[in-house]
Amino acid sequence: MGDNSATWVYAVTRDPDPVLLRAAGVGGEPVRAIGDAELAAVAGSVDANAFGEAALERRLSDPDELEAIARAHHQVIEVVAAARPTLPLRLATVYRDDDRVRALLTQRRAEFGDMLRWLDGRTEYGVKVWADPEVMTGGDKQEQAGQTMQVPGGRSADVGGDGATGRGPTAGTAYLLRRRANLTARADGWQHGAARGEEIHAALGRLAVAARRHAPQDPRLTGNEDGWMVLNGAYLVDSGRGQEFAATAGAMVSGLAGFQLDVTGPWPAYSFSVGRDQ
Amino acid sequence: MTQPWSSAPRAPGRPEPANLADILERVLDKGIVVAGDIRVNLLDIELLTIRLRLLIASVDRAREMGIDWWEHDPTLSSGKGGLADENRRLRERIGELETVADGGGDTRARATPANREVADPAGRQIRTRRSRPGQDNDG
Repeated sequence: MGDNSATWVYAVTRDPDPVLLRAAGVGGEPVRAIGDAELAAVAGSVDANAFGEAALERRLSDPDELEAIARAHHQVIEVVAAARPTLPLRLATVYRDDDRVRALLTQRRAEFGDMLRWLDGRTEYGVKVWADPEVMTGGDKQEQAGQTMQVPGGRSADVGGDGATGRGPTAGTAYLLRRRANLTARADGWQHGAARGEEIHAALGRLAVAARRHAPQDPRLTGNEDGWMVLNGAYLVDSGRGQEFAATAGAMVSGLAGFQLDVTGPWPAYSFSVGRDQ
Repeated sequence: MTQPWSSAPRAPGRPEPANLADILERVLDKGIVVAGDIRVNLLDIELLTIRLRLLIASVDRAREMGIDWWEHDPTLSSGKGGLADENRRLRERIGELETVADGGGDTRARATPANREVADPAGRQIRTRRSRPGQDNDG
């Protein structure tokens, strides 16, 4: 390995050799194992210029390059994880050379070994639940049609009223009332959706070895801008029960109006390799 | 109540698990963090990428939603300089007003540095965040 190469690390696993031949890395390079049968890093040699700090930062800031690199990184991890307990490493973990990777393995051997044992025979599923704001708020359309009657109480005193006439609210007051009712309905609707997301997460957690909630995804990335993501969960389940988990999760919102559920997986255990017990 | 959405799992059509948002969420934000020899702050990258993607994919859609910050973001609107222009106009206007109020004097010199700071918010912000120590391991 010359001065112009660096070592990109994908994952830490056990005894990886036989499964690696099919994977190509982020630079199209063949992927190999560094370490021993008990604990090994899955890595590839990449061009230090193309994957140096400045270059990498620039490339990862380009949406197309980021996508290509992220997918390549993920693909290697997926191939390894399909056959071995696997700790995925975060994108852009790059070392100067293989010796630095060996030092890492030596230094954190016990911790990595524990985590691999814990992950062995288990896999991750993702479950996302969206709530339809219109259904949650009881139908915005009615309010948009100008039916201000739904304002709770309708007490003009609450907003200062219009004592001069003593008659119904003025246009401005009516607007404020309508606006407040909309906001209240929205808040209530969100509460309703979020509560259901909470319940689903709890129920799925009981079927899983471990469960984590992630932040809702940016709607600009998911393309679903019409729904509220009320659950973005990850669940570690025994591999033998994966199908069952996915089926149970998929049925979680059947019969519930206004909810949509999406199961993804099996995934490498990304969400359960985040510094467990540290 | 009608059901605008099916409550069944989403219709197929998305290969699983190939959704880019799902992959980015995991490779950028999950997984073991170790101190490699190269440091790249992925939080910044994700932010920037979302911005760029938004810009490329759906400028019109974003405008409809009232999202138009990129037009004021010097890192993304090089050449247009909308914010810089606006700052310059405001500086001139402030200068004029202060000249009138104070009956003269070199108040313009005072107004200038503060406005110059405003002219470069995004770049500064990104640089600041990059220098933050730690590994964003917030599981």
